[in-house]
Amino acid sequence: MRARSKVHPWLMLGPSLLAWSLFVFVPLGLAAYNSLFSWDMLTEPVWVSGANYGAIAEGGELGRILGRTLFFSALVVAGSMALGLGLALLLDRPGRFFGFVRGAIFSAYVVSWVAVALLWVLLLDPDRGLAAAVLRALSLPRIGFLSDPAAALPTLAAVTVWKITGYAMVVFLAGLRAVPPSLHEAAALDGADALARFRYVTWPLLRPTAAFVATTSLIVSFQAFDVVRIMTQGGPARATTLFVYAIYEQIFMNLSVGRASALSVVYFVVLCVLAALQLGAWRSQRTTRGT
Amino acid sequence: MGGRVASHLVARRQVLAGLAATSLGAGCSRPVRDAKGRIRLRIWYTLGGRNRETFLEIVRRFQERNDDVSVEPVYQGDYFESLAKLRTAIAAKSAPALSHVVAEVVPYLARARTLTALDAYPGMREIPFVRGIGQEGAFRGGGDLPLYAVPLNRSTPLMYCNGELFAKAGLAPPRTWQEVVEHARALTRPGGERWGHEVPISWWFWVALVGQAGGSVFDEAGRPTLGGEAGVAALRLWQDMVHRERVMRPPPGRDYDAWNVTNQDFLGGRAAFIWTSTAYIRYLEDNARFPVVAAPLPKLARASVPTGGTFFVVVEQAPEAEKIAAARFLTFFCEPENATYLSMRTGYLPITEPAVAKMRADGFFAKHPNDDVAQAQLASVDAWPWEPMLFRIERDIVDPRLESAVLLDRDARAVLAEARALSERPG
Repeated sequence: MRARSKVHPWLMLGPSLLAWSLFVFVPLGLAAYNSLFSWDMLTEPVWVSGANYGAIAEGGELGRILGRTLFFSALVVAGSMALGLGLALLLDRPGRFFGFVRGAIFSAYVVSWVAVALLWVLLLDPDRGLAAAVLRALSLPRIGFLSDPAAALPTLAAVTVWKITGYAMVVFLAGLRAVPPSLHEAAALDGADALARFRYVTWPLLRPTAAFVATTSLIVSFQAFDVVRIMTQGGPARATTLFVYAIYEQIFMNLSVGRASALSVVYFVVLCVLAALQLGAWRSQRTTRGT
Repeated sequence: MGGRVASHLVARRQVLAGLAATSLGAGCSRPVRDAKGRIRLRIWYTLGGRNRETFLEIVRRFQERNDDVSVEPVYQGDYFESLAKLRTAIAAKSAPALSHVVAEVVPYLARARTLTALDAYPGMREIPFVRGIGQEGAFRGGGDLPLYAVPLNRSTPLMYCNGELFAKAGLAPPRTWQEVVEHARALTRPGGERWGHEVPISWWFWVALVGQAGGSVFDEAGRPTLGGEAGVAALRLWQDMVHRERVMRPPPGRDYDAWNVTNQDFLGGRAAFIWTSTAYIRYLEDNARFPVVAAPLPKLARASVPTGGTFFVVVEQAPEAEKIAAARFLTFFCEPENATYLSMRTGYLPITEPAVAKMRADGFFAKHPNDDVAQAQLASVDAWPWEPMLFRIERDIVDPRLESAVLLDRDARAVLAEARALSERPG
């Protein structure tokens, strides 16, 4: 289809471009500009060139924040995909009971992050929580799920997985329903057992669904804020200070707009690299499959 | 037809211009008076529970006696959330006339020229504040500066002992660092059943320890020394009690989450003696199933406590009519009846000398010995430096390092050396 006038495509794109400019490009440009100043919003900004980037990189803090965020994302993506797929395979059955269980699992996804985080704070309380009672009943040692620096980040990842697994399960269920039963029947006639049918029939057809679940889980994990703010406030010993929380902490707790802006710029670059890697992976997959 | 289109366009332009003018006007000024012609006095506050009830009762009393002012108190979350909002509102030129902020941030806000000097407002300079907790005594040289800050809820750290456990063990509250360790050892039960001692790993309590060890976090010239050897000794005391002695629990969470955990552990009998704020005297007394015995913090080289809590501040950019109303509210707030009401209901220190005298004359301190301990401890107050970077050094540099040093048992000297280097050039 050809445009009748050269102006028409721009007219169509105009509203989106305007919105993107106002809410994405301009703020991004402002953040990049602010990152070159020491500024607290109240006094005059002072030009510091790249000192804010130097400050956040100093002592390896930036690397630690990035490492933590990537580790958290890896746990969340792997956990939600594995559990979501497992539950979808287990619950892809007719009947009210399975419908109820599917609904119950999905319900966690629609509950607000604040409620979920508060619920888990109570459950994981090392003295009065359900988890502590179970550990005591089994004569296992106390675990400071949120107070031990080694346990806190995996705990937050587990809570996030618990919250979003219902969504992954529903998407996988939709993917499973799209697999033609005739393929399974043909494979069964050829002597394929359940595992072989999953490996050679179900999984190849579920790959686009899996890629979608991976992408959405990755987005959720990189945006993690509420769960950190409510459950750990970035602690203990900064063990759960993820990227978005670190930005919040710099600007709202430490009154440093320059450093928060520098962190935002680095965060944007990291997301661009991840997006490029993901796009590259999709393209290579499409090329391999000849589509 | 063409004429109709043209007139339609003109009309639309007029509407748009009108809208733009209205929005610009709204951005530049705000209604100082309400529909009834009363001056609007917006107050942002951060108090919860009984503190909030008490504060709102004083607001109600003021409102009752001042029908030309309409007070609009708005809750804004905890101290730090509220500060973030206030700072943003100041930048957006929409801040309320009156708010209250943590003591350590007052020099920063004053340097940024966001606070009103209150000296010229009727009665403000004559208020007889208790020296240690008013601007004059809370900051070095605070009396030589214009009056920017009026104490609201002021406190010091205080030790709270479980009277029942101490009586059973035949112990008195610890008076030295050595006794703190020994008593904590004697009162700890294995397996996390009960910790001898608990204190939030936070700047405020560490500063108290630094002072007790004979140090100061800033030198006389206002340079951040972080206590030198005293700072290291203070940090090592905590590290030893947590990792070597295993008699102290560092509560999980940051800021007031950790403070709440400390209180709950104390009330639940899971911590034998804690350090927290004088602000919790009434709360702990009312909710404990055992006698709560308050004691001054222990000494090493000397007795020392910092002050905490918040000061009222009047925002410079507020309309003058609102500032006058704010000053009227502040003088009302400092009247003995209201100052004693706040203190007696909560545990915060009475802010004026007449309020202290009234409470003593009414026999309040005789009936409430824990409050008397807090009052006596004011003699050990060490003033904060009037240093604009104080708050950022506390929040950005020292607080997170204290937590990681205690939890991960990092080398105290190296941690504080790193913090000192960063404090000399905060971003």
